[in-house]
Formats: sequence, structure tokens, C-alpha cells
Amino acid sequence: MTIKEKGYTHWDGEFLDKKLPWWPITRYGIKLTFRKKFFKLIFPMSLLPAVVFLAGIYVSERLEDFKFMFRESVPFLQINPAYFKTYLVDNFMLNIMIIIVIFCGAGLISDDLKHNSLQLYFARPLKKRDYFFGKTAVIVFFLFILTLVPGLVFIIMKLVFAGSFKFFLSYPWLPLAVIGYSIFVTAFFSFYVLFLSSLSKNRRYVVILIFGIYLFSDIFWAVFYEYFHNHYFSLISLRANIQQVGAFIFSQKTPYPIPWFYSLLVLTAICVLAGLVLKKKVRGVEIVK
Amino acid sequence: MSIEVKDIHFSYGKIKALDGVSLDLSQGAIGLLGPNGAGKSTLIRIMLGFLSPDGGEGRILDYDIKSQQAEIRRYVGYMPEDDCFIPELDAVSFTSYLGELSGMPRQEAMKRAHEVLYYVGLEESRYRKVETYSAGMKLRLKLAQSLVHDPKLIFLDEPTSGLDPQGRTEILELIIDISSKKDIQVLISSHILPDIEMTCSYVVILNKGIVASEGEISKLKEIRDLYEIKVMGEAQVFLRKLKDLKCRVEETEDGILKVYTPPNYNRQEFFRIAAEEKIQLRHFVRSQSSLEDLFAEAVGVD
Repeated sequence: MTIKEKGYTHWDGEFLDKKLPWWPITRYGIKLTFRKKFFKLIFPMSLLPAVVFLAGIYVSERLEDFKFMFRESVPFLQINPAYFKTYLVDNFMLNIMIIIVIFCGAGLISDDLKHNSLQLYFARPLKKRDYFFGKTAVIVFFLFILTLVPGLVFIIMKLVFAGSFKFFLSYPWLPLAVIGYSIFVTAFFSFYVLFLSSLSKNRRYVVILIFGIYLFSDIFWAVFYEYFHNHYFSLISLRANIQQVGAFIFSQKTPYPIPWFYSLLVLTAICVLAGLVLKKKVRGVEIVK
Repeated sequence: MSIEVKDIHFSYGKIKALDGVSLDLSQGAIGLLGPNGAGKSTLIRIMLGFLSPDGGEGRILDYDIKSQQAEIRRYVGYMPEDDCFIPELDAVSFTSYLGELSGMPRQEAMKRAHEVLYYVGLEESRYRKVETYSAGMKLRLKLAQSLVHDPKLIFLDEPTSGLDPQGRTEILELIIDISSKKDIQVLISSHILPDIEMTCSYVVILNKGIVASEGEISKLKEIRDLYEIKVMGEAQVFLRKLKDLKCRVEETEDGILKVYTPPNYNRQEFFRIAAEEKIQLRHFVRSQSSLEDLFAEAVGVD
């Protein structure tokens, strides 16, 4: 069939005045992430710690039933801000977050750079910030499922299992801490991942960068500490900085004896740098001066 | 006027890409011609709002190019020159996705994606992933995405580059169909002069960032008189005298002289000079200049 036989009809619909013009970017980003074979396996597994911690909350309210399993002298399952901090801030959760953002975030910008698709986005009535919101929201979606959602569910289930508001009255700020930390860690990882994703057209290099920088910043901190015995070197470790700020948010003792806001400053500086690079790298047309 | 730009200036660092371009274009298919680096793509990118001009002003479909870029992009389709797509999507998802980003409701974007893919001849392979497409299919897909939101104006940047003759003919037929029967204005930027001649009625020739020539192709051809002459005898002095009279002369391989005369040139001059130099005019035909001739004259190459 030749082209001319097919005809072309004008569209008689009306454009929506969308309040969230970036939403299709997010929806497609989430959809494409779930199409990845390994992600389908890994993502449910990443929720296992949340299930275990939720079970812990249940057990904490049924201590009498489970007492036979433990020696009496062992302080067993105290549900307090430290419990939340253990779930949200400790190494295992940060490692899970890194794995998840590698799957959902590494290709977000690098694939667009590789396939020259930025010009397709910016030939639409989208602003640069819509593009960033759309891409960021993909990372936010997955990280909130790992942090904010379980954190709030833990609080709600604790109240449900306890059948009283005593826990809430003891720690009225805890929901805010969960929300605050989730936003903080998600914002940092969003900037971190999008920044690295914008540096290469090859998604594999971006994966190596995301994982490598996170890992080696920690290794360097350990090496420097061994040599100089100075805790300030923890400022070069992304993990240590997140944990410093996380500990402060949950009103816990910081893991290293240095002010927590130094870590916040370091992470903020990384985010600002990432924002500046992103602004420069992401545009509808590549300009070679 | 659908495209109206006035005194547009733009530089990439120290390199001037556009130096006071002014255009006032309305209906039909418009060809944007120019050698590499003439500023064609830069002009399109400025009109789409990808680049902000250093100076000048303009309106596309009556929207200001500096302050109403979102509106322009809503009603303008753009088919980039580069190979560009979003991986891991099939053609339907890809096209409807871009329709949604244009502001179409989700279901209508999907419906419309099927329609335009059918229109550009990709109906059989619309569920295949985009990265598995051939160059020709990708080009059709780029055209489909530029049409999905039913634009009033389309910018086509090198729409036939890398196509085989059959594919090229089909795309050109499609462009002619869009511009002549679908009430969509088309601006085609291309290096391939026959493509422009086949599809466009109006042409703008850019050279070194300025408008070297513009107008209806048929009228531009009329303005320039071209004569094909074959002479017998000593032609050198004859040619020199023609050049003194501001004629441009090209010699073809088979010995025919193509003489472009200035406006209001009296063709009796040919015979007068020939008589003076005692040479015979064996062949004398008034010919029509081609777009290639116009282009060569505008950009100053032989």
C-alpha cells in the first residue's frame, strides 16, 4: 500500500493544560525499569528487610509469645528511633539503594544522550525543569518505596499492634524524621545518579561510576583513617556522610565524632555541583563552541 | 505569517552563525538551503527555542520565539536530522509518548500514534522495538513523531539523508502530500537540491549566516536568464567581453557555454560581440536555470 492511499486526518481533540507535564516521563521511566529482567528479581528482594523489620515490630508487641526463643537477659526488640535508624540508615539499606538506583537511574539521561533523544523532549512544550522532575521522580518512586513507605508503615503498624498511641506520644517527631530522612537520602541519590548519568553516553560506564564512587569513597576513607587516625577523613565517604546526617535526624549518636553538619555541607555541595553540571549537559541541542 | 523573524543574530563563541537573518514566510512548503555551516540548523533551533538569539526577534505561528517557546513547540512538529529515538520502546509507545509530552491526553495520543504510523507506512512494524528499525524506518518514525500532535507547521531537518532512492521517493511523496493536501506548512532544510525542487515552491538560501537569496523558485528562475551557446572560432576574447558585460560563463564538458546574463541584458549583444570577433554562433538556446544554478550563484560557487 502506498502512502497516499492511507490518508491523514487532523486531530480534533484539545491539548491538556497539564499541571504535571513531566508525569509521562516518570511513568515511562518506571515502566521501562520494570521491564528489566534482573530488576524484577531484585526489587522484591530489596523489600525483604522491610518485611523482616515489620515482623520485628509485630514480635515486639508479642514478646510473651516469643520469649521461649531467647535468654531473658538479652534486651530484645526495642522499637524506638534507633530501630528506625537501623533500618533506614545502616549499610545494608544504603547498599540496597545503590543497587536499585543503578537499575532505575543509570540510563535515565545517558540513554537519552546516546540516542540523541533530548531534542525530541525539548521539541515538545517541556521545560528543562520538567525533564529533570520527570527523571528524578523515577528515582524518587523507587527510593520512597524502600524508605518512606516502610518507615511510615512501621509507625502505623506499631500503633496498630500496640493498640495505643503511647509510641507516638513518646516519639511524636519520628514520622517527621522518617519523612525528612527519606527526602534527604532520596534527593542526594537523585542528584548523584542523574549527575553521573549525564556524564556518559554509555549506561555501563554510569553503573561503574555510581557503584565505584560510592565504594571507593568509603575505601579511601578507611585507608586514610588507618594512616592518619583522623575522623575528618570520613567526610570523603558518601556512606559515612549519609550515616552522619541520618543519625542526627533520628536523634542518635553520630557514628563519627565530627559535627554532622559538615557531612550535610559535603553532600549539599555534591548536589549543587551535580545540579550545575546537569544544567549544562542537558539541553535540546549540543553546542560545540 | 507563520514564520516571521527579524534581524536574528547568533554566535557560537567567536563564530557568527547567523548575522541579521530576516524572513517572512507564509503558506506552502519552504526549502531552506545552504552549504554546511550556513546557519540552517541554527535558525531552526532558534525558531524552536533550543537556542536563544543574541539579537533580533521573531514570531512563529504568531508566538514570540523568546517568550512563548512552549506554545510554539505545541503547534510545531520537528523532525531532527540526527538519528534519535528512545530505546526499549516500540514505535507505538514511542510515538504516543511524544504525543503525551506535547500535551495530548494519554488515550488520544495512543490512538493518534497508530494513525500516524499507518500514514507513514510503519503499520506492519509498529510493535517492533525502535532500535531494531532500519535507517529508512527510523526516518519514517521521526516523521511520525513530528506529526503525532497534528502540528500546523513542521520543521524537517535533512528529511531524506541516508535513504535509498525508493525510500527517498516515498518520503518526498509524503512531504508533498502533507504540505499540499493536509494544510500543514512545511519547512525543509536540506542539502539535496532536487528534493527541495520537488517538494517546495519557495526557497530561502542561507550562506555564511545571511539570507543570500529567497523567493518563489519559479520566479527566481525567471529572473536569471540563461543561454546555452556553442561557438566556432577563437572563444577566449568572446568570453572575456561577455564577462566584461557582467555575464557569468560556465563551460560544460561537451563544449557548450552556459551564460548567465545580468538583469535587462540585451541578447543582441551576443551577436554583436560574435560579429566583432568574427566567430560563429553554432548553437544559441535560451534555457531555464535550475535550482542548482540559483544555489551556486547565491553562495558564490561555480
